[in-house]
Amino acid sequence: MTSRFAPALVALALLQGCVTSTVDEVLYQGPEASDLVGDASIVIMGRRHASDYETEPDFIECVGKHIQRRDDTITIMSELEFMNELYPWFEPRTAPLRPADIKRMMDIPPVADKLAAMNTEYMVWIDGETVRTGGAGSMTCGIGPGGAGCFGFGTWGNDSNYEATIWDFTDQEEVGRMSTQASGQSYMPAVVVPIPIIAPVQGTACDGLGDQLLEFFSDDY
Amino acid sequence: MGSTISASAFCAVSRTGRQLLAVAAVLLAGCANQVEVQGQFPTPVLDKLPLKIGVYYDPEFRSHEFYDEADSREEVDWIVRTGEAQIEMYNTLLPGMFEEVVMLNELPRRDRVDTVMEQDLDAVLVPHVQELQYSIPNHTKINVFEIWMRYRYELYAPDGELLAEWSMTSYGKTPTAFLQTAEAAVNLAAVVALRDAGANFAMNFTRVPEVRTWMDSLEQAAKDGGAMAIPADAEEETL
Repeated sequence: MTSRFAPALVALALLQGCVTSTVDEVLYQGPEASDLVGDASIVIMGRRHASDYETEPDFIECVGKHIQRRDDTITIMSELEFMNELYPWFEPRTAPLRPADIKRMMDIPPVADKLAAMNTEYMVWIDGETVRTGGAGSMTCGIGPGGAGCFGFGTWGNDSNYEATIWDFTDQEEVGRMSTQASGQSYMPAVVVPIPIIAPVQGTACDGLGDQLLEFFSDDY
Repeated sequence: MGSTISASAFCAVSRTGRQLLAVAAVLLAGCANQVEVQGQFPTPVLDKLPLKIGVYYDPEFRSHEFYDEADSREEVDWIVRTGEAQIEMYNTLLPGMFEEVVMLNELPRRDRVDTVMEQDLDAVLVPHVQELQYSIPNHTKINVFEIWMRYRYELYAPDGELLAEWSMTSYGKTPTAFLQTAEAAVNLAAVVALRDAGANFAMNFTRVPEVRTWMDSLEQAAKDGGAMAIPADAEEETL
């Protein structure tokens, strides 16, 4: 079975562009082992209050899945579910920007009751984006009676830059901060058939940030 | 994209005749991108204001749509229908904001006592869409779909006197249409804009100076002998 898939895996590996990434971490206070036992959950949210960019929802989902795949004892609530449960307090316009804002929110009885019922122990805010950093090359495609095909070469770069801030809901304070940067170059040569060689820049940033968050939240890392 | 599909269909008609004419007609009718905005709107988590509010949606608000004609052959017409979705949003939002909400079929009028007066309402709210703008990557060359809306609200006394009138904006965007159609991306941007409209209204209703003045007057009336009391911290409950 493995031998059947081996060529496909090798081809897939060869068709990935190169990515470099760095991860920085600042921890103020790690969680107690007992903090995440039972029904307590973590919510990972994207920052969307800036006018010129917003953290991609699929990146937030990727980080959550990365953590849960490696430690299924950690309960991660989906971003949309959390926003819906606490509408309108976590919309881009109204989301708290400082841990102190959580305290003010807790002064409103229905919000405090809802948060208590949800048992959210930590909130992770991720701020950043992946951008395309320019491209070069050209490609021409044509179609005729005998078939269709492309010829040429294209290349482009991608940069990811994300920062995660961890808030402790119980103590209403920031307990950790980490960031990741990744960049890579993708290529697309085409001789009849275009062959995309994609650098998984955002995926690498997701893995880097996910691993750092695992070190923070999981006893096994 | 729509014009490309239509052009291909036209070529097919010339070759194969009458049967494909019907198909081409269907495709040509689809030249305009049409979006019937659909989304789910959550119930707000708020301290309800102790008010009995009537709500009136005028026909224009109920069937609100935005039509944008293409400027060039490369672009397509857009029709964005927000009416039903915004009714759904307000019908979910308002009962979560006020102690009691009554849907009205007509505006209160000063010249006659009618059913609105009989319902013992504190006030009647009438929302209007004042303006809607959108942008798609074709317009801006940025891979973002955006919708911006300006709502105008009127608050009437049950006898038809205008108590307050104010505007609020809302904004929604979809960062990319990757793996989804332009229509789906515009729909998502509209849903985000409607959620933002609800959040803005919920957070800032008691901060509108005329509304605050009216609520203070109700509070004063309650102190002078009525039963109503507006929470003193109502305006503090925003971040």
